[in-house]
Amino acid sequence: MAEHGGTPADEEEQVWSWGAGTDGQLGTDKLQDEHLPQLLSLISLPSISMLACGGAHVIALTSGGKVFTWGRGSSGQLGHGDILSTSLPKPVSFFDDCVIIQAAAGWSHSGFVSDSGCLFTCGNGTFGQLGHGDNMSLSTPTKVSYFLDKSVKMVACGMRHSLVLFTGNQVCGFGSGKRGQLGFSSDSTKSVNLPCLVPGLKDVEVVRISANGDHSAAISADGQLFSWGRGFCGSPDVQTPQCLPSSLSFRVVALGWNHALLLTVDGEVFKLGNTLNKQHEKQKLHTDSSEAPFVKVPYFDGVKVLKISAGAEHSAAVTENGEVKTWGWGEHGQLGLGNTSDQTNPQLVSLGSTYLQTKEIEVYCGSGFTYVVRRKQELNSSPTSS
Amino acid sequence: MSYDDVEIEDMEWNEEIQAYTYPCPCGDLFQITKEDLRLGEEIANCPSCSLYITVIYNMEDFQNDAKKNNEPKSRQPIAVA
Repeated sequence: MAEHGGTPADEEEQVWSWGAGTDGQLGTDKLQDEHLPQLLSLISLPSISMLACGGAHVIALTSGGKVFTWGRGSSGQLGHGDILSTSLPKPVSFFDDCVIIQAAAGWSHSGFVSDSGCLFTCGNGTFGQLGHGDNMSLSTPTKVSYFLDKSVKMVACGMRHSLVLFTGNQVCGFGSGKRGQLGFSSDSTKSVNLPCLVPGLKDVEVVRISANGDHSAAISADGQLFSWGRGFCGSPDVQTPQCLPSSLSFRVVALGWNHALLLTVDGEVFKLGNTLNKQHEKQKLHTDSSEAPFVKVPYFDGVKVLKISAGAEHSAAVTENGEVKTWGWGEHGQLGLGNTSDQTNPQLVSLGSTYLQTKEIEVYCGSGFTYVVRRKQELNSSPTSS
Repeated sequence: MSYDDVEIEDMEWNEEIQAYTYPCPCGDLFQITKEDLRLGEEIANCPSCSLYITVIYNMEDFQNDAKKNNEPKSRQPIAVA
């Protein structure tokens, strides 16, 4: 099934990137950091449906279900059948005959979900995070046989572990479990290389999963947050999924390496833990209190937030006004503010002209870099003279 | 301030750069050589940024390393299709 064209003529899709770029992860064809948003010319990449940003690599899915990857490839995480890095998007030919609907990028591994509910993984397998029953690394996407008779809905990849949401809203984990990130009760579980059911979520209707660093999280259909893995702010590791009590109803969770961002159904942003610039502010996690220590991220002035994303040590959000805001660690320019300063509060990122009406904005954070995909619709859709 | 405390067994031996490595949040790798460890160094730096981690290990484990050929756990080979 060939994919023609891309976006309709009256729509313009823009892809911007900034931050750490020495592995080619910014798609700029340069191996350098960028402190300001760079508008990419990705003619080869039509109509992006989603991006997944990892340690230093990027996966793009097109609306036709095709897959492009770029950035660091030294563990085979790009899925091109080699261990080379590439600084421009390159199609993953393995998926020529498949339709991929969701993907996740970990520190150095990748996961892909097809429209038929299959899971494919590639990249670093040292900790069993590819789920094939061994600790081999793979440079070509390979189907995970555990899920052959199941229907996979979503994959999430952390530093050294993977989570999978599949049939019946069940969650599996594999890879490193040293910090409790696999959610198994036994704290002697260091790593597993085959998918294992997370028992603590058996009676929970999970609709979304997230993984980053040594953290894991899930959101239930009724808006509750479950988290497990490395403890936030020096608190003990959590070996099994823990429902964090709150009167809030959560829609999205985005994990960093030391913090979690939460988006409520009302468009408010809360956080757990702290990014690098604020780690001296100890935030104690009292598991027995009736209300978990979610801290509201202010400074959105009552404007609703539509999207959130978390890098290892930075955060990003899209507001209903079409603004992109970033905060956290900024040493590599990952905040896109033209400098390398850290920011405690969300700051507005400047993304060029505004004469076109924004239809849709998505933000995606990798470990030390950030992407924005913006779909614009011309206010005046009169045909251009030719 | 040290970004994190990491046990040596959680670091990976990188043949190419001849160092133990651990992921840095910037996307690069914290690195420390066997010679550093032999000398009692406990800081692993990232070549790309200001961050560093504290490596937790037994110095004695690396004292006799020069004689014995006990190569550390190296990364599995990558299957290239």
